Amino acid sequence: MANGQVLGATKIVDAGPPEKRWNAVIVSEGYRSDEMPQFEIDAQLLADTLMSVAPFDRLRAAINIYRVDVTSTESGAKDPKKCNGGTGAEPKTFFGASFCNEGIRRLLKAKNGRVKDVVEKHVPQWHMIFLAVNSPISGGSGGPVATYSKVPGGIEIAIHEMGHTAFGLADEYEYYSGCGSDEGHDKHSTSEPSQPNITTNKNRATTKWRSLIQPATPVPTTSNANCANCDPQPSPVAVGTVGLFEGADYYHCRVYRPEFDCRMRNLHQPFCTVCQQVIVKKLTPFLPS
Amino acid sequence: MVAKKGARKSKARKTAKKKTSKAKARKTAKKKTSKTKARKTPAKAKAHKTSPEPNMAMRLTFSYDGDDVKLVSQQRTEMIVPPSDPLKGYAKHKGFWAEVKNGSDKTLYRTVMHNPTKNDAEVFPDSPGGFISRQPAPKRKGVFVVVVPDMDKGEEVTLSRSAPDTEGPTIGISALATEPAAEILRVKLKK
Repeated sequence: MANGQVLGATKIVDAGPPEKRWNAVIVSEGYRSDEMPQFEIDAQLLADTLMSVAPFDRLRAAINIYRVDVTSTESGAKDPKKCNGGTGAEPKTFFGASFCNEGIRRLLKAKNGRVKDVVEKHVPQWHMIFLAVNSPISGGSGGPVATYSKVPGGIEIAIHEMGHTAFGLADEYEYYSGCGSDEGHDKHSTSEPSQPNITTNKNRATTKWRSLIQPATPVPTTSNANCANCDPQPSPVAVGTVGLFEGADYYHCRVYRPEFDCRMRNLHQPFCTVCQQVIVKKLTPFLPS
Repeated sequence: MVAKKGARKSKARKTAKKKTSKAKARKTAKKKTSKTKARKTPAKAKAHKTSPEPNMAMRLTFSYDGDDVKLVSQQRTEMIVPPSDPLKGYAKHKGFWAEVKNGSDKTLYRTVMHNPTKNDAEVFPDSPGGFISRQPAPKRKGVFVVVVPDMDKGEEVTLSRSAPDTEGPTIGISALATEPAAEILRVKLKK
């Protein structure tokens, strides 16, 4: 028996017919029926935040956002005790969201196949799904459904994951588990990554985002003097300068990112110019002609 | 003699005039035909010459369990898909992507994806100033979706992926794979 009910979909950002626009869908998890007004507020917050982020703020005419209201019998998400800090909570929720997946406390996941099936019945033209989990515990996950919880920064997780899922962007942080705690992340392989926002090519004339690098910008723009560690130097150029900054794709050296920082490197940062350009290119066909 | 020359010149001029006006008539006829065609053919269809229904897409759902990937379903849907990623120069790239191929195995459309079958997970910080990190998650399984344009010459969809390294410090972790991607699955598109 389902632990809740699918109530239906509401369009909360309307740019036109769904078959002609880019459609994001926000689905509720762990909200009881008396908590659905709160989900309305929480979904609107994600929608408003997304539409205020560059370059989405200038692509409003291309984007629809829907809310799919799904009630759960109980609030929150499972929080197994087997993970350090877990409370042992086991609420009955529609999509079975749980922290502590694979022993990682902050890895919050639900039954993505079920989420996808519900969305497809209500918004068959979906391009991106967000699952808003009604929990004050920090966590989230990516993949076909960007899952996030109701903590400050939860929405940042959702938007970072959207960068991966909807736009194929790579991670731009230069470590795996953390600076100072990694081994074997000195030098990236020579294979060029397929993603548009990282590269092993440091040739100014042929590198992926060469058209965005000003002639006066040095290339490489930063070089890591000690590949055994993350590069500690601050940016030598102004914020927003596009160049070749060494360190990305979980490696300290031999791979470059386009700007010193970006939402694909750290939360609470804007998307860098190259990432924005990718997003604009992908969403332009959805603009009204 | 002069009269004959004059007559020949005049004939030649007349012939040239005839040829010019015939050519003009042919041009006008062509213009009329293409105008008629344009009225009958919506502008969108002209923009997508290989697609019978310009805004149709195929949504393919795949499941994965470890390294095994299977097609679960395909669904034709009226929707726009983002433009293709580069169709050339990626043979030695690492990563994950899907391609639409025609009957001669030529790529018609390609979408680069953040590997949806990764065996590790992104872990987010507890506090706003913290950093994102990754941890192995070897039992990852789930579903992912690929949406491609429904192209009348599209016959198959392929998935390509870099295999995890089999030795060294990056052994077994798909996010750290160093080798170029290779095809892992090929499915026929529903017609």
